[in-house]
Amino acid sequence: MKGKHRLRSLFGGFVVLVITALVVSQVWASIFDNDGKPLTTLSPRGQYAQTIQNLVSPVFIIAGVILVLVMGAVLYIAFRFRERPDEDEIPAQLHGNTVLEIGWTLAPAAILLVVAVLTVATIADLEAREPDAMKVQVEGQQWWWAFRYDLNDDGVYDDPENDLITATELVIPEDTVVEIYTTGNDVIHSYWIPELNGKKDAVPGMRNFWKIQADEPGVYRGQCTEFCGLSHANMRMLVRALPRAEYNAWLANQLEPAVEPEEGSLAAEGKDVYLNQLCSSCHLIRGVNDEKVADPESGVESLLVSGIAPDLTHFSSRGTFAGSIFNSHYPDKPGATPEEVAACRAGENVAQNCGDPEDEALPGNPANPAYNVDLEDWLRDPTVMKPMAADDGRGMPNLGLGEDQIDALVAYLNSLK
Amino acid sequence: MALTEAEPLALPSGEPAAANDSPLGVFTRPRTATGWRSWISTVDHKKIGILYGATAIFFLIVGGLEALLIRAQLWAPRSTLLSAENYNEVFTMHGTTMVFLVVMPIGAAFANYLIPLQIGARDVAFPRMNALSYWCFLAGGIFLNSSWLLGGGADGGWFMYAPNNGVQFSPTHGIDFWVLGLIMTGIASTVGSINLIVTVLNMRAPGMTLMKMPIFTWMTLVTQFLLVFALPVITVALFLLMFDRLFDANFFDVSQGGSPLLWEHLFWIFGHPEVYLMILPSFGLVSDMLPVFSRKPIFGYPFIVFSGVAIGFMGWGVWAHHMFVSGIGPVSVTVFSLTTMFIAVPTGVKILNWTATMWGGRLRFDTPMLFSIGLITMFTIGGLSGVSHAIAPADTQQTDTYYIVAHFHYVLFGGAFFGFMGGFYFYWPKVFGYRLNESLGKWNFWVMLLGFNLTFGPMHILGLQGMSRRIYTYDAGYGFELWNKIATIGAFTLATSVAMFIFNIFWSKKKAKDLPPPGPDPWDARTIEWMIQSPPPAYNYEPIPTITHVDDFWYRKYGETEDGRLVRIAKTEDLVQAGDATDVHLPSPSYWPLVIAIGLPFLGYGLIYSLWLALLGGLVIIVGIYGWLLEPPDDPERAHGHDHEPEELPTGDREIEPGAEPLPTRDKEVETVG
Repeated sequence: MKGKHRLRSLFGGFVVLVITALVVSQVWASIFDNDGKPLTTLSPRGQYAQTIQNLVSPVFIIAGVILVLVMGAVLYIAFRFRERPDEDEIPAQLHGNTVLEIGWTLAPAAILLVVAVLTVATIADLEAREPDAMKVQVEGQQWWWAFRYDLNDDGVYDDPENDLITATELVIPEDTVVEIYTTGNDVIHSYWIPELNGKKDAVPGMRNFWKIQADEPGVYRGQCTEFCGLSHANMRMLVRALPRAEYNAWLANQLEPAVEPEEGSLAAEGKDVYLNQLCSSCHLIRGVNDEKVADPESGVESLLVSGIAPDLTHFSSRGTFAGSIFNSHYPDKPGATPEEVAACRAGENVAQNCGDPEDEALPGNPANPAYNVDLEDWLRDPTVMKPMAADDGRGMPNLGLGEDQIDALVAYLNSLK
Repeated sequence: MALTEAEPLALPSGEPAAANDSPLGVFTRPRTATGWRSWISTVDHKKIGILYGATAIFFLIVGGLEALLIRAQLWAPRSTLLSAENYNEVFTMHGTTMVFLVVMPIGAAFANYLIPLQIGARDVAFPRMNALSYWCFLAGGIFLNSSWLLGGGADGGWFMYAPNNGVQFSPTHGIDFWVLGLIMTGIASTVGSINLIVTVLNMRAPGMTLMKMPIFTWMTLVTQFLLVFALPVITVALFLLMFDRLFDANFFDVSQGGSPLLWEHLFWIFGHPEVYLMILPSFGLVSDMLPVFSRKPIFGYPFIVFSGVAIGFMGWGVWAHHMFVSGIGPVSVTVFSLTTMFIAVPTGVKILNWTATMWGGRLRFDTPMLFSIGLITMFTIGGLSGVSHAIAPADTQQTDTYYIVAHFHYVLFGGAFFGFMGGFYFYWPKVFGYRLNESLGKWNFWVMLLGFNLTFGPMHILGLQGMSRRIYTYDAGYGFELWNKIATIGAFTLATSVAMFIFNIFWSKKKAKDLPPPGPDPWDARTIEWMIQSPPPAYNYEPIPTITHVDDFWYRKYGETEDGRLVRIAKTEDLVQAGDATDVHLPSPSYWPLVIAIGLPFLGYGLIYSLWLALLGGLVIIVGIYGWLLEPPDDPERAHGHDHEPEELPTGDREIEPGAEPLPTRDKEVETVG
């Protein structure tokens, strides 16, 4: 009887142990496994993120040790000095020990002094200007990002002759330092690509220096981190780091005006829709609606469009749209073989060979075929796709387009390579 | 401080006081001591303390429900329980409510109730101002929350950054309510803090020098100084924003040359001392509770006191660590990074001194002790994560992620609120004359500890894995699902523990009829508030005790034998004041503080909707102020029949040796001009 009982409790103990081990290993994996966590700060993929990681890792370890020591001390003291029923002695009324107290004032101060020195060095490192870096002005507005590449390196970002204006996705060459200057066009936003560096606020009226660098080609994601109103949650960032040659080709293409659709094609109809259905009063497509008009009094030339919406000149060269939350192209399938990648690019059996375009964690790849479902929904009524305040001029209003118009527009947008 | 006045101030000498007994012909000076009228006219610091506490617990429920809504929304990716608009309102109001209507007023509740008791005074220096402080807080709280019924709460976050707080980006009236409501609670805190500073500095019992004050009184004194200096800053910011929103000013309009960083600086110059003024009262409570349950004095009284004072000073030099990524420049970032790191030193000193207080003691684990130990351990976690974002480069990754949410909840919930919970259990028998049930209290503690860690522990991981703050939704596939689910389960566990506490209040009250009353000193406590009856009589002390030690009451109970052993030398019953004084004269109640406070919301609604309403509110306030001024400071019918010759009153400024001749105690009057 007793042995049976003992066996049972032994078994019970074993089960508890196994469950505990499972839970602990799961928790451990969930904390330290960076797969499937595109926003994690714990997996640097560029030199600046690595610099931060190198500084903070030992601090986390020291903090962990201090935490264990304090917790352990408190629990030990609580156990050792607990009231026991058999004693009624009043403990000695000890009022303090000056040496001890000065000691534990100075000890943490000494640890912090070391951390402080390392911190100052790292701040200097992260804030240092790089003489040969390329420069991009990153502009946040409700709720998407615009980018101005300073091609002639003159530090001026509003001459269309020498600058390149894009939206939604920041394309950079691999293994190159890119200085970014953040600013806000309405409220404060914050630009953050955790795998490449910390964040920097995009403040209206200011140009804040920051820099990023990606060791490898790839896609790096981010999320706006300064509360910027209604759709703050739907304001994402995407950085595409390309091999140098691909980047150069991308840049050359971007500098061209928009592709003119073939006459009589569906895309040409789409262009008419674009021009006649209010799209062109906010969006800009270079070569289509970028005519400038001189102010009759001052003579200053300015664009007719308001420019409060993303530039669409090369819309189809991007994989995502609307603050990078929807896919306009199929994403790559995670862990795809080279054959599958090639098949996806060629548009063969996309359901099999490409990634799921509705998987929110997979960003569309412009090299893959266009994915139109979200884009069509967006044109049908953007306000149900993403909370916006279009009535106040913030975000895209519902234009009440017909299905024919939507099909034509999608064809036109997809032609804008 | 004119504590005694021969004649009412407002009257010309010689005129009979009765002539002005009914100022403006509206009210006679109220004198009820029971019933609801006694509550709305009270100037008794104890009743005001209870009102503060009860109101704060009500708002705790409101803020807690908002928190549950947040957690329910984040249970699953792309949840549609709340719209983006509603979510933004809910998290803004959750933060605002918890800071301004829960943690600060609970601190004020303890301060109001305990400070006069701990320093041996009969009331605060300005009793009517004390009432005004409470009513303004209530008016502000109601006004702020009335926005829910009038078009939705504020939606800019509790930090309300410009220019997102402008009319252009938040066209509803939510932020108007927020601005005006916070100005009202700001009046409450300013009035209260001046009152308590004067009280502590002037009204201590004979012999109670500053370095003999209980630590709660010390920490609250520091807190009140922080309030006095921090509130003007936020008030300026609020006024600028009010002008921007209501009168088309351009302080934060960038196109007109305004600066968004101006708001950030103003907000955080207030906002960081704010953090310390939320946590220090709780530190004080724990510093008073740990010695009681360890049966040892606090380890290193001067270190505990001066580290609190140091935090109070250093707290002014760290605000821009909230702005490391806002573009303040590398020099500012470096400076504030360093100051922030070193404010960890005095905080660490407190942790170690508390631990050392327990060392060598004989520890009783009653509920207040459990919460105190909970504070030490949980606050340590919050403190250490705080150091990790004092490192500015690390903060560029951590700021505005859930890592920060985890950090400040470990500080403000695991720190401030655990201390307050301990304080509730500790002082409940003193305040209400019955004990909260101990077993339920222990359950309450463990469930709260579990729920708290389940809610906020995973947020460290979520933040480091990149989950941004203040997002109403997140996508699947970013690794956020599991920890959000755990956090939501934790939040509901936490809510259960708060419900247990509230249940305990009513249940224990019901059960208390069959139990012996707890008596004046249920915990074998150390400070003088435990040598008077529970609940304390309206006049607190009679006679005012003369203080010779820190922990004076303990030294009245215990002494050393010849061979150095500590023994009980007196029974509590013999030391306790009988509480049967008949001749003590107390300040008379007044309705005028309430009248003034009633005018404030009208002023607020008027600014938003129609200036005529503001005119009405303004008139009510002016009438209230005149009524207050013309009200005789005393009810002549209750004249006390002895002269008020000026006499040298002993105050706490004089050190009194143990065993010295007892000094003449204060005159029985505590009539004040407040």
